[in-house]
Amino acid sequence: MSGAGEPATVSIPIHDHAATGKAPAATSSAVPAAAAAAPAPAAAVAPRKVGIPFFRRGDHHRGSRCLAFLDFILRIAAFGPALAAAIATGTSDETLSVFTQFFQFRARFDDFPAFLFFMVANAIVAGYLVLSLPFSAVLVLRPQTIGLRLLLLVCDMIMAALLTAAAAAAAAIVDLAHNGNLRANWVAICMQFHGFCQRTSGSVVASFLTVVILMFLVILASCSIRKR
Amino acid sequence: MKESVEHGETSSKAPLSKGVSKGVSILDVILRFVAIIGALASAIAMGTTNQTLPFFTQFIRFKAQYNDLPTLTFFVVANSIVCAYLILSLPLSIVHVIRSRAKYSRLILIFFDAAMLALVTAGASAAAAIVYLAHKGNVRANWLAICQQFDSFCERISGSLIGSFATMVVLVLLIFLSAIALARR
Repeated sequence: MSGAGEPATVSIPIHDHAATGKAPAATSSAVPAAAAAAPAPAAAVAPRKVGIPFFRRGDHHRGSRCLAFLDFILRIAAFGPALAAAIATGTSDETLSVFTQFFQFRARFDDFPAFLFFMVANAIVAGYLVLSLPFSAVLVLRPQTIGLRLLLLVCDMIMAALLTAAAAAAAAIVDLAHNGNLRANWVAICMQFHGFCQRTSGSVVASFLTVVILMFLVILASCSIRKR
Repeated sequence: MKESVEHGETSSKAPLSKGVSKGVSILDVILRFVAIIGALASAIAMGTTNQTLPFFTQFIRFKAQYNDLPTLTFFVVANSIVCAYLILSLPLSIVHVIRSRAKYSRLILIFFDAAMLALVTAGASAAAAIVYLAHKGNVRANWLAICQQFDSFCERISGSLIGSFATMVVLVLLIFLSAIALARR
């Protein structure tokens, strides 16, 4: 079907090669195609696609959909370290077998308010990431909703700031536990409590990983908002 | 249909939406000034701490400065970096007031604002943890509260946290404003 006399719209239909064998030859002969020709290949293409209905060819929002899918995957990736850090800090409890005059013989996370805040903040961020998964899935299916993207960007940023604050406070206490402080006469307790120290240090590292992923999510959301 | 409405908006530029864009950009500049003042005040207040006690006992040193505690050093450095960045980004946001059709510069501004938000939040909250420890001590780890001896040092390091947290809140607002400006284009 050659519609070579159509000067208004220039649309280049992408024909499915398996469906119409003569289609590439027809498109190479005449560049502007009739508007009536466009629905016919689309109707021929649509029933053949199974599994992923939204990655149709000729989809205008394909770039936004890719970014939204990446956003979804990264959210799942960020949930792991946050939950692991919360659990590892929450179950940190070490009792020493020795007992000296100056040291207490037991260390738990709630002896240090910074670790308590750290555990609570990680639990909040892990819960938020799980709850924001459906919203991110909606963005994959309908990439043109800007308001939802803006909401996710603001919430991601607030959660990133909260988690950075908690991770930095816990890192300050962990650094003090490892090195002590000569001026203030604060003894390094990691000499005695090995397991407690290792566990909390590992949780702080995991939490910083979540912060990096959350910051990347914020950048991704602002790229998608600009792109639309 | 949505694209045709947006195309009509950008081509005719209704005065109300143009005024709102300009207002957002002007608010961006004002908030940047506020954040500069907050970060600078915090860095200076923490950096000029120096208290010497008149007496000297066997266990406690008699002089306290901010660089006796590495976390407070990090706080001063982080606030200085954020202050310098905000001063350098002030021309860019003034350009946004004049020409509000910038495409990539707002994205770059959001990227660096997010990085600086992470930095200032980390510095402020690590210093807050140490200041809390200085006020209350820790019974389990046998860490004494040094504020009993160094009260003016303690007051100063506690007060300098306020400016830093204000800078953090303002940076959150700045990123939000930039995102709104991106979405309105």
